[in-house]
Amino acid sequence: MDPTLTAITTIDFRMYAHWIVLLPMIGFLLELLIGQYTWRKGGMFANLSIFGSMVISYGCLYNVYVQHLGFWEYSWDWFYPGIVAGFTVDPLSLAMLCMVSFISFLIHIYAIGYMGHDCAKHVYFAETALFTGSMFGLVLANNLLQLFIFWEMVGLCSYLLIGFWWHKPEAAAAGKKAWMSCAVGDCLFLLGIAIMYTIMAKHGVTTEVISFNQIFQHLEVLSSSVVFGIPALTIICILFMCGVLGKSAGFPLHVWIPDAMEGPTTVSALIHAATMVTAGVYLIARAFPIFLAAPHALAVVGFFGAFTALYASTLGLVVNDLKRIFAYSTISQLGYMITILGCGAVIGVAAVALALFHLVAHAFFKALLFLTSGSVLHGTSNTRDIKEMGGLLKGMPWTGWTMLAGALALIAFPFTAGYYSKDRIIEEAYVYATGHGSLGYLPWLFLVLGVILTATYTFRAWYLAMTGEPRSYLAVHPHECDWWMRTPLVILAIFALGLGLFTKGGTLFWHFLEETFVTATNTVSGIYPGIDLHEIATLGGNHLLEHGHAAEISPAVIYLPFFLMVAGLAIATGAYYRNRVDMSKYIKKENPLYQLLWNKYYMDYLFKDILAEKIIMTVFTFWDVLDRYVIDGVVNLMSWITISTGQVSRKIQTGVVQNYATAVIFGVSLLVILVKLLGGV
Amino acid sequence: MIPLTYYLLLAGALFTIGAYGIMTLSNGIRLLMCIELMLNSANMNLIAFSTHINDASGQVFALFSIALAAAEAAVGFAIILMIYRWRAEIDIENMNLLRW
Repeated sequence: MDPTLTAITTIDFRMYAHWIVLLPMIGFLLELLIGQYTWRKGGMFANLSIFGSMVISYGCLYNVYVQHLGFWEYSWDWFYPGIVAGFTVDPLSLAMLCMVSFISFLIHIYAIGYMGHDCAKHVYFAETALFTGSMFGLVLANNLLQLFIFWEMVGLCSYLLIGFWWHKPEAAAAGKKAWMSCAVGDCLFLLGIAIMYTIMAKHGVTTEVISFNQIFQHLEVLSSSVVFGIPALTIICILFMCGVLGKSAGFPLHVWIPDAMEGPTTVSALIHAATMVTAGVYLIARAFPIFLAAPHALAVVGFFGAFTALYASTLGLVVNDLKRIFAYSTISQLGYMITILGCGAVIGVAAVALALFHLVAHAFFKALLFLTSGSVLHGTSNTRDIKEMGGLLKGMPWTGWTMLAGALALIAFPFTAGYYSKDRIIEEAYVYATGHGSLGYLPWLFLVLGVILTATYTFRAWYLAMTGEPRSYLAVHPHECDWWMRTPLVILAIFALGLGLFTKGGTLFWHFLEETFVTATNTVSGIYPGIDLHEIATLGGNHLLEHGHAAEISPAVIYLPFFLMVAGLAIATGAYYRNRVDMSKYIKKENPLYQLLWNKYYMDYLFKDILAEKIIMTVFTFWDVLDRYVIDGVVNLMSWITISTGQVSRKIQTGVVQNYATAVIFGVSLLVILVKLLGGV
Repeated sequence: MIPLTYYLLLAGALFTIGAYGIMTLSNGIRLLMCIELMLNSANMNLIAFSTHINDASGQVFALFSIALAAAEAAVGFAIILMIYRWRAEIDIENMNLLRW
């Protein structure tokens, strides 16, 4: 073997895991400080630093997956007893690291072409480097506090990047909306962390109080804690889930996602595929044993996820903005991932593996879809309305065909990445349903209905944009993107189509991920033994299936998603390709269903016009009155008393020296007399 | 030998005269003189008692006190001189700038 290659294979990349986070941070600083002088090089520092992180990430994967060096966790004492900063390298974080670094790197390459003419290019690359670095930090964090800090940094970067073209008022508003929607969830998440810290400290844990592995070791003790008559773990998990709903755009905090399309398309790709919305799913996956040990927590997670999956896919049907269609599909697909994590109440750690596989597959095809739609925007002078496109396939074949690859993966067309990841999720949701009564069928039902809608809205977008006749002047002569942009599209298309095949139908990935939690983790000071998930599940009243035990599912259920996908595809083809149905009959203001969907179920109306302007403004008016008259009144009263007392009492200062002398003499005399009378000296 | 009581009565009379002067007069120099009067009545007490108990330390105290009175008078007159230069009068009753 080549000696340099041998030398590389002996490096233990796990010891350099912290550089995965630090490199993009350095890239951020360099890009911010001297990026404007290297403007022509187009984000050189950001790209190189992400590439460096990618190398270390894959090095770690090689160490753990090929060389079997074991999982690794390292902690530094940070502040206050028991708060540490640390990194954990296990299959869960590795899957995320490799996905995030690879996708982010491709998006950075693409952005060299896409953002090529932007005068604030160095700021853009600085922010995306920080964005990616924060996501690495979030993924590597071995404790809740560090995770939360990077969680907020990810939110901050998304705010900055969504509002990157801040001179457009709608972009500035969208950034603010994203920030505030997430903040609602983040506050509750932080509250959950605080409760977790309190009960851990109450049970006498003094080292690494909120580190994940330490929490997992103490779950049995913690499950006895009760807050307000409810198991503390359930409260913590519900609060965590609120954070997840904000970050991963779950119902009802999803409202920021469609507006976030105001940012550059590469930013949308980053947010939707790699760095932002996956953080929520990752949090549930990382804290999965806590959820498993908390009664009812996973059921709530599952129902919210499934509802979000169906809800968002109905919205995707009516939107005309190409990017927003894909945005709604992201919300929907995230719903699938959250649902399968909820189903972990039955299938155990396999749920984490399935959710992560769909997350990775989704990252590939959603990054692809966003980058292709970015290419469409680039080639048609920022046309986003699919009603004004049409026939683009002729002018931009690379974009068109790669977008088709992404769309096929999204609708789970056989043998694409989505087919292996999504259909398995639906099967496992059915396994979950069989054990949970009639109400347990709801998540499965929502997911299955989502499949047909997904196929319809995805191909509605593709057909309307790519086939038929151009419907506007700008769509007549679209120009194809340059090679900086084409290369990432092709690579992503290969993975979107072939990820399932590369991993033997996902089994390689699943087997690797299923080692998480149950296998021991090495640290400098000792070993965290793997945890017995069956035992932990009984704490939360859940009963896991035996590992490797395949539940009996009828073939009808297994093939149902496939047939529904074909049906959805057929509907889209009939309505938008062959034009068998006159859609204008249904798409009009008088149709109440269309009206409902077009107004996004009035969620924006509910939040802005009712919650913000009516309720919160009313409360604020009361508060204003209270502030102005009661609180200010008390302060003013105090000063009035002081001033008027002074007005009266200062009269004794006559300014005549004789008066003062008289007062002194009589005072001293009085004192002497008093001392004499009271029997003093 | 004059009894101690006489000294004390003289000192008390001087002190009372000084105090009365401070309370009633308004001329700055007269005020200073009244203060000196009160101070010296105290000195007289010191010496009287010192002789009475046959201990010289009281007289030493009186010497110190006189030196102190001289210094105090010098400062006081300097102030009154400045006030005179400024306002061409030394009537303390008109010195009421710091009044409310």
